[in-house]
Amino acid sequence: MTKRKGIGDGGRTLKQMLEDNSRLLRETGCYAGITQPHVLRDDPVRAELFHSRIMSSLISGRETCKMISGSPYVREMAELCMGLYTPEGDNVVQSTGIQVHIRLMGDNVTWMIENNYEEDVGISDGDLFLANDPVIAGVHGVDVYDILPIFWEGELIAWVCTVIHEMDIGAVSPGCMPITAVERGADGLKFCGEKIGTNDKIRRDFEIKIEISLDFAALFLLDRKGAIAANIRVREEVKNIIREFGLDYFKNGIRELIEEERRNQIARIKQRTVPGRYRDVVPLEIYMAQAPVSWLPAKKDIIRLIPIQTDILPEGRLVLDFDGVGEWGWHSMNVTPKGLWGGLSICIVQTMSYDGRGNLGSLLPCEIKTPPVDSLFNPSQIKKLATGIPWATKLDVFSLWCGTLGTAFYMRGFREEVFNYVSSSGWELAGYDQYGNKRPMLAGGIGTFGGGATGVGDGVDTGGWVATPETDLGNWEVWELFVPQLFMSRMLEPYSVGYGRYRSGLAIPSMDMLHRFTEGIGSAAIGCGHDRILPNIGLLGGYPGGKRNTFLVRYHNFEDMIAKRLPLIHEIGDPREFKNQKYADVIYFDYTVGAVEVRDKDLTVSDNGSAGGLGDPIERNPALQKADLDTGLTNEEISKNVYCIEACYDEKTKEWKIDEEATKKLREAKRKERLSRGVPVEEWWQKSRQRLLKKDMDPLLVEMYRSSMKLSEGFTRDYKDFWALPNDFSF
Amino acid sequence: MEYSKQDLKDLYDGKLPWDKIKEIMSRPKDDDRFDKYVEILQERVPWKEKILLPVGEHLYVVQKAKERIVKCNCGHEFGDYRQNWKLSALIFVRDTREKLEEIYPGVRCPDPNLCEVREYYCPGCASLLKVESVPVGHPIIFDFLPDIDAFYRDWLGKPLPEEKEYTDMSSQVTMAWRAKHA
Repeated sequence: MTKRKGIGDGGRTLKQMLEDNSRLLRETGCYAGITQPHVLRDDPVRAELFHSRIMSSLISGRETCKMISGSPYVREMAELCMGLYTPEGDNVVQSTGIQVHIRLMGDNVTWMIENNYEEDVGISDGDLFLANDPVIAGVHGVDVYDILPIFWEGELIAWVCTVIHEMDIGAVSPGCMPITAVERGADGLKFCGEKIGTNDKIRRDFEIKIEISLDFAALFLLDRKGAIAANIRVREEVKNIIREFGLDYFKNGIRELIEEERRNQIARIKQRTVPGRYRDVVPLEIYMAQAPVSWLPAKKDIIRLIPIQTDILPEGRLVLDFDGVGEWGWHSMNVTPKGLWGGLSICIVQTMSYDGRGNLGSLLPCEIKTPPVDSLFNPSQIKKLATGIPWATKLDVFSLWCGTLGTAFYMRGFREEVFNYVSSSGWELAGYDQYGNKRPMLAGGIGTFGGGATGVGDGVDTGGWVATPETDLGNWEVWELFVPQLFMSRMLEPYSVGYGRYRSGLAIPSMDMLHRFTEGIGSAAIGCGHDRILPNIGLLGGYPGGKRNTFLVRYHNFEDMIAKRLPLIHEIGDPREFKNQKYADVIYFDYTVGAVEVRDKDLTVSDNGSAGGLGDPIERNPALQKADLDTGLTNEEISKNVYCIEACYDEKTKEWKIDEEATKKLREAKRKERLSRGVPVEEWWQKSRQRLLKKDMDPLLVEMYRSSMKLSEGFTRDYKDFWALPNDFSF
Repeated sequence: MEYSKQDLKDLYDGKLPWDKIKEIMSRPKDDDRFDKYVEILQERVPWKEKILLPVGEHLYVVQKAKERIVKCNCGHEFGDYRQNWKLSALIFVRDTREKLEEIYPGVRCPDPNLCEVREYYCPGCASLLKVESVPVGHPIIFDFLPDIDAFYRDWLGKPLPEEKEYTDMSSQVTMAWRAKHA
């Protein structure tokens, strides 16, 4: 029996190549067994040209896609990204854009190889593949991957992939990634590496399926055309690169780019961090007891604890361990082990590998330990579950993780690199839009909040969204064409701030009025699960930003207000008073908003918290606070109560003045107050322990700890050790 | 890439304009940063023990005789660096709506039934060293246990005398507390 000739290097099958690559990495510790990289090093200028040519082809491909697409997700927010991959699915170069998907797209290619696509499905020049299933690898179904093989004289020499966030994938309402969907079928269409075309052309029957299935079919298909055009552009440019540099140089060069980046990443870890054990914890809140659900086991409130341990090892490796994470549940926020890599990718690219060379090599020194089976991060029932919002969970975890890494940078003296972030929330809608059509509606311009404080200055006031920086606001006038929400205001919110010697940026609540919207349903909570517990995101004495909020404001008589020219609501203002509006009822949600009736002229409010401050607030330079007062980013109350800065407004000069003497006294008094109300930890520990022994805590927390202990001996041991609990203690 | 100590002092003191900070962020990192960082910090503390590792805005792991301890820049000592320094701090817990609303008024306030915000103060100078927001009942987090010997030996190429075992010794403290109150 003759061995079948493969489409890969030297007649090997892709599966053989994948196995060989894995073995070489295992045996040598170097990517593709490259222990002595030389192809790129022999001529650095040529190597630079080689990399630049690939990078520029990906960026121009991405721009091509933006020109073809009709979706504001692509055109306004640029929520897309491209990458070039080895035949085995390993990322070589990535474009600008949402870099969370860089490894995940490659994981889809690897999955296709492992599942015998070469033999059973067939992989040929011009074949178009489509994927969006987080069960394989991904963030959530609305992120759709277009995958194209690149052949040279009959041999598959690379892949190019494009990710686009879709407006619609046929998920149940409201929106395109419904928060309360719990069953897989509710997610909409799933593509598991589906071959949707050949010879660079989408199959007509696939187009028909989309036209029948989706409300926004035209946008979806236009996105495919944009992505396929982008992929083809890169493919043709790769062929030009091979003509110029030679096939051998290309094959070796792309692998050496990964190995060189792996080495550089280890060097960065050793240069910028400190080895040791870092710990943090984030609870994920999912309140569905009041939500309408299709599956009764989902109808309950749960909180899941997510301990995050990062070990930076002497050899320059970074190991993440989520041991102690609680159980999976019937909700849309479960994560797969592969999905965790998406969160790590985006943080690594933003914090360490930001020189344009980021690729799989950036991640090779990292390890994510396989989370416990049946945990939130490794649910055995994942194939039955909806996976609309695992992004929320990942954001929560990796926003804190950025702070962990920031602390490491701080200790090495690279204080300018300290940073963390939070996620956003927003309203998803269902109903008849301004054109009388039924459509999924989720406006994308909601990622609006400032970044965390750095070690050398305040956080960026308004630009803190690491995943897609272009998401901040976007162009709302374009969104108004797609969703029946009129822009009412985006006011910087002083009380959202994470206070500290350096403060975080500010949240910018999205206030939009429903206009010409009928028979509407709304839900909210896209980005994060922090309705009642603040994320532990304050650094080195700084506070976490305030809690995020979701509101629906219903005017008593909107037409009358317009006729009488009464003021509409444009800002949160005093957070103690916002719920008490004179001309409107404010419906306040401190839970996962499943599906509530919304009406025309209601005001939807997505009020994010902000990231973390850094350092003791009473050590804040009064000059910084004066600048904030003068620009309206803070107020007198916060200055006095949090920063202990006495300031008054000078009507003559129209600016704030700091009273240095009074400030000094306020700060001295604050220190005395701290010494008087602070107690030795031992004293607090004894009291808390007694309370714990009686299990005197909210049942949601009892269940949360029980869930973590059920899955982890290590968590149970650590918990009992800390509280010195008897061996037979259990929740 | 190299910066003067004055450049770094200005960076740390918030005296550099954004365009200069951005320049530092964008350039390759300077290999001698840690040495200069420690020199700057050492000049600023009123005591003589050698700083081995800054671990916070006020806290340092220092070499004191043969021991390595966590020390505040005010001089207060927290004990062995392998025990969570928070266990030797003063704590104030915002566990009621009233206490939480001092910082997070109105709709910004978390639910005190589920969330507590712990503030750790230095008993010597009352500096706020760390704010910890966690679910009620969660153990105090040991944010960072450094592997100092590996750091100095393998990364800086300057091994420290008398290596210490890299291990978390915090539970010794809580076990002693339990024994004391049994």
